[in-house]
Amino acid sequence: MAELVGAFASSHGPLIIREWERVPAQEKARMSAAFGELGKRLRAARPDVLVVVSPDHWSNFFLDNVPAVCIGVAEAHDGPPEPWMKGFPHREIRGHGPLGLHIAQTALEEGFEPSVSHRLKLDHGFCIPLWRMALERLPRIVPIVVNSIEPPLPSLARCYEWGSLLRKAIGSFPDPLRVAILGTGGLSHSIGEPTMGAIYEDFDRETIRRFGGPPDDLIRYLDEQLPTHGNGSEEVRNWLVAHGAAGGRGFELVDYLPVPTVIVGCGFASWKT
Amino acid sequence: MRDYELSRFFFDLQSPALAAEFRADRNAIMGRYPLAPEVREAIARNDVPFLAQRTNAYLLRYYFFAVGMKDDEFIRRLKHG
Repeated sequence: MAELVGAFASSHGPLIIREWERVPAQEKARMSAAFGELGKRLRAARPDVLVVVSPDHWSNFFLDNVPAVCIGVAEAHDGPPEPWMKGFPHREIRGHGPLGLHIAQTALEEGFEPSVSHRLKLDHGFCIPLWRMALERLPRIVPIVVNSIEPPLPSLARCYEWGSLLRKAIGSFPDPLRVAILGTGGLSHSIGEPTMGAIYEDFDRETIRRFGGPPDDLIRYLDEQLPTHGNGSEEVRNWLVAHGAAGGRGFELVDYLPVPTVIVGCGFASWKT
Repeated sequence: MRDYELSRFFFDLQSPALAAEFRADRNAIMGRYPLAPEVREAIARNDVPFLAQRTNAYLLRYYFFAVGMKDDEFIRRLKHG
């Protein structure tokens, strides 16, 4: 049987790439160290497959069809389409079709209704953390898109339940795979709205603190606070998926720092699984 | 509220080739989309608040990035019109 061998989370803002040279040296050093530490922990977990949970930033889906959750079930996916991501060293990214399909099938049996994709473009949300973690060799990737971009969004509680579902699906996959999960996005930021550029450090720190407590308290807090703390903060859903996969326990902050140059409260975390 | 055609226009301009064509000849590219006259005018005058009410915030940001507006100017227009 497959087993969950690690859960991780990381921010992914585009300016981490586009404005990297303008990031002050001290912040750059801390971000690099945090990405490096996540990469080290991920390598130590020796995953055969990495389930990466991210929004789709209008790379695959348009208003015609905006799935709440979409699972990539292909043997290969496309690298990031954004021109400023051209330095990312993978134009094609190996998937794991059987595990993706097993997750989708398990979800349907358990009362979840994901869509599936047989070819996704893995945009910066998926690829910036993979790039900055400097993995020598990418594990196979099962991408899962969770909509946090275009309302209506899946509920926070449902995202946490998705994490529990993922753990169950991984544990019932018949092949002896080592599988890790990476949730990307957040923490606070604001894009294309009048508060654009704002970072809500107090909100971020309280969110981080509550990841160490009961999941219900965390979800209640986020339900109350997210509407007034930047639309990009909605991406914390992907952290909730990782949290759910870890059983709501074992959260460990690697680092958090607000980085005005990249207009994101940058967070990095892992879970003891 | 979502203006489908406006959103489609912004979505398509994520293509660097189309964005370059648009920068060279705005009217020719906009003519391919059945945009309402008031929307066309808002695009012409970079009326960020007007457009913000009609599309997704990320698409709005991508559009103004594609046409070369600096973030500082974009944020100023978001806040103050």
